[in-house]
Amino acid sequence: MRIARLRSPRAAAVSLLVPLALVTLTALVGANGSPSLHATVVTVLCNLIVVLGLQVFIGNSGVYSFGQLGFAAAGAYVASFLTMSAAFAALQVPDLPDAIAGAQLDPLPSTLIAAVACGLLATVVGLPLMRTSTLAIPISTFAFLIVVYNVLANWESVTGGSSGLVSIPRTTSIESAALWAGAAVVVALAFKWSASGYRLQATREDEVAARSLGISVTGERLLAFALSGVLCGIGGALAVHQSGVLNPTTFYFGATVTTVTMLVLGGARSVFGAVLGTVALSTVNEILHDVEGGGSLFGLVSIGNTPGLAAIGVGLILLATMISMPDGISGGREVGELPWLRRLRRATRTSPLPAVSGASGTREPASGELRAEGISVTFGGLRVLRGVDLALRRGEALGLIGPNGAGKTTLVNVLSGFLVPDSGAVSLDGVDVSRRSPSRLARAGLSRTFQAALPFPHLSVLESVAVGAMGVGVGRRRAVGVADEVLGRLGMRELATARAGSLPPASQRLLGVARALATDPRYLLLDEPAAGLSASEGEDLVRILEGVLEDFGCGILLIEHEMSVVMSLCPCVQVIDDGTTLRIGSPDEVQADRAVVEAYLGSSYPVAASA
Amino acid sequence: MGSLYALIALGVTLVYTVMDMMNFAHGEFIMLSAYALYVLAGLPFAAAVGGAVLTGMLIAVAAERIAFRPVRKADLSAQLVTSLAVATILQNVVIASVDARPKSVATPTFVGEATQIGSLSIPNLEFVTLGLTAIVLAGLGWMLYRTRAGLAMRAAAENFEMARLLGVRADRVIALSFAISGALAAAVGVLLVMQTGQVSPTMGLTPVLVGFVAVVIGGFGKMFGAVIGGLLLGIASSLLGSYLPDGLVPFRDAIVFSLPVAILIFRPHGLLGSATGEARV
Repeated sequence: MRIARLRSPRAAAVSLLVPLALVTLTALVGANGSPSLHATVVTVLCNLIVVLGLQVFIGNSGVYSFGQLGFAAAGAYVASFLTMSAAFAALQVPDLPDAIAGAQLDPLPSTLIAAVACGLLATVVGLPLMRTSTLAIPISTFAFLIVVYNVLANWESVTGGSSGLVSIPRTTSIESAALWAGAAVVVALAFKWSASGYRLQATREDEVAARSLGISVTGERLLAFALSGVLCGIGGALAVHQSGVLNPTTFYFGATVTTVTMLVLGGARSVFGAVLGTVALSTVNEILHDVEGGGSLFGLVSIGNTPGLAAIGVGLILLATMISMPDGISGGREVGELPWLRRLRRATRTSPLPAVSGASGTREPASGELRAEGISVTFGGLRVLRGVDLALRRGEALGLIGPNGAGKTTLVNVLSGFLVPDSGAVSLDGVDVSRRSPSRLARAGLSRTFQAALPFPHLSVLESVAVGAMGVGVGRRRAVGVADEVLGRLGMRELATARAGSLPPASQRLLGVARALATDPRYLLLDEPAAGLSASEGEDLVRILEGVLEDFGCGILLIEHEMSVVMSLCPCVQVIDDGTTLRIGSPDEVQADRAVVEAYLGSSYPVAASA
Repeated sequence: MGSLYALIALGVTLVYTVMDMMNFAHGEFIMLSAYALYVLAGLPFAAAVGGAVLTGMLIAVAAERIAFRPVRKADLSAQLVTSLAVATILQNVVIASVDARPKSVATPTFVGEATQIGSLSIPNLEFVTLGLTAIVLAGLGWMLYRTRAGLAMRAAAENFEMARLLGVRADRVIALSFAISGALAAAVGVLLVMQTGQVSPTMGLTPVLVGFVAVVIGGFGKMFGAVIGGLLLGIASSLLGSYLPDGLVPFRDAIVFSLPVAILIFRPHGLLGSATGEARV
């Protein structure tokens, strides 16, 4: 039996081991360096954990959060309270509850408690914030950062106020920092390659298409936001136990800019990029700090004491990265995905064996129908749909045709939950689903494609299709099997490792159909799947869809202008024009109908309608 | 307070509507305009204000040309991060060239005095703030609705690509909106200096966040919404300042910045925003 994989084991191993090696190397440099270099490297490793936290959320969701340093701050304070001796605590933070102030825990339990606390905080904060739009999240998370800062700086009796805390035990060794950083690398990669990580990446690539595959954008973002909060909290807790002092500005605006720059510089979509960016920027930063303090650049250019210079350098690097290489040094790829390692990947690809059908199973045709009644939609003053009925039975194909502007796509948007109709109801197998979200409908067995292909450009073809199955709750391993089977059915196996964004338009369109099929739909709505296909490709598509009808037993609603495709697939065609149903009948009946011909060609056309 | 916030929100929204970009560096435009007052302290105050306005406009246009034009086609997040980079650079250039500490700036004595109306003593600063806001709003309204350039900007704000096809020059419209946004920032900078009597490198941070939050509250890309959002924030902030129990006054900012979250829970697309157009498929 053929075993499909999202990546070869060797590529996966390389993707994991190279970042880990980089972490180890950094730690070794620090361990053998001067005391000041030693301290710097511990800080870098703590920063790395925070940057990996940013990567988990920002990299996979594509949405920027400027509030994650708030979790680092929370982690730092919580852990400090837990490790500080009772005497110091009583002196600095008199109003802290005794249970916390009196505790004097070891580094490990205090870090773990801080991690859990930050995870909870991120969940509570994320619940409302993740509901807002892609653009509102950066701003509202920034507002969160300010709130955290404001509270920390002013709640003197509990946090020490703006002067902060001192006498925190300095327990973070270079070994423990490196171990935690290594663990963070593993966690970030494991998340990225999990079903949840793939679902989140799909929302980054195309939010609308992701929702059509059953993915809850809010839910996936919230999960990553919480995990990111945990990592940031750990980073903050470790950092403060290396410096021994803490004040509210430690994890504020400057640290936010620095860590975001590290992520962007390395390439936000990739865990490898996060590691690379952190190490690279830290190195530059260290050199600039030396210069800032009145040192000289490589002993060549001597500059006076110039505060702010390092920050200017960080800003310039960030600006230059955004302008000249927005994908960062890594190009957003993991090590195993780098172009010059392609030979390695090709050598390890599984040899294609004949496909065994039945991964998703041949289903006996079941009864049930998707029914719409009296659907009306108004855009502004324009009535796009006026009381349209539609019934799609399982195992049948229904053609939906009509001139441009007739309301075909609007009807599909209503059926798939992207649009709430002004009046009318939609039911799925007898259950009213009128106000269900697209993702819930997809999980209930209703899937669709779009007029535009809406690919997931940075995912491979196999990943794109597997996400379809993951979207409706199939586990990662099985999802890959389903995707492989669907691709085989559509004759796209050869393309499995290609990036979806690199395919020609016709293949991207077919990929949209594959993605929808991977959700194992009971009803499949196809919005002009044959547009842009050649005549022979169109015939292939019809054959594929016939097979789907037979094996999946699903109902297919086909919007199509290419009449030959409609004619050969659909025994029944519904014509709509100007928001109402004009005619329902067999393709021949419909083509002979005078009203239908008039709708397409205008009433003054000398009709040879019955010819 | 409210009118000041409204001015900030307008400056941010103006750029957002025309090129779909949230500009973090707006706060630094404000800060640099204020520093122009500090540098030009020897001149008559009116001349220094003129210099501040000119500075705000020049910096804004230069930032657009150098930093924002190359990333114009990138997505929203990329532009946001780019503007964050610009903000960091500008802020630290001031730290490196002037000082990290606040500097005091002399303002006309008239501003510090108060006028007696009946039994009420109203600080003249209030009149100046209100007056300046009114003048700026009227000027902006006239520009947008009575001039060709304003028409081009409104068209570009509605549908940038279509406006381009109809012959609106994209580069020019965007540069113009940045120039106006810079002038608005300068007005805010001058008012802030009059209020506090000092300038500091980080003085732009809170205002720009206030502007962002006001824009979020008002619904993205709606100028009217931005003004309302700014006014609301300002009023909320003043009320909290007066009526919060003493112990909680230091947490005023925390409460003010939690406001957008509270509003977004109930209206994820802002007060005046709507969900339409979000899922056009």
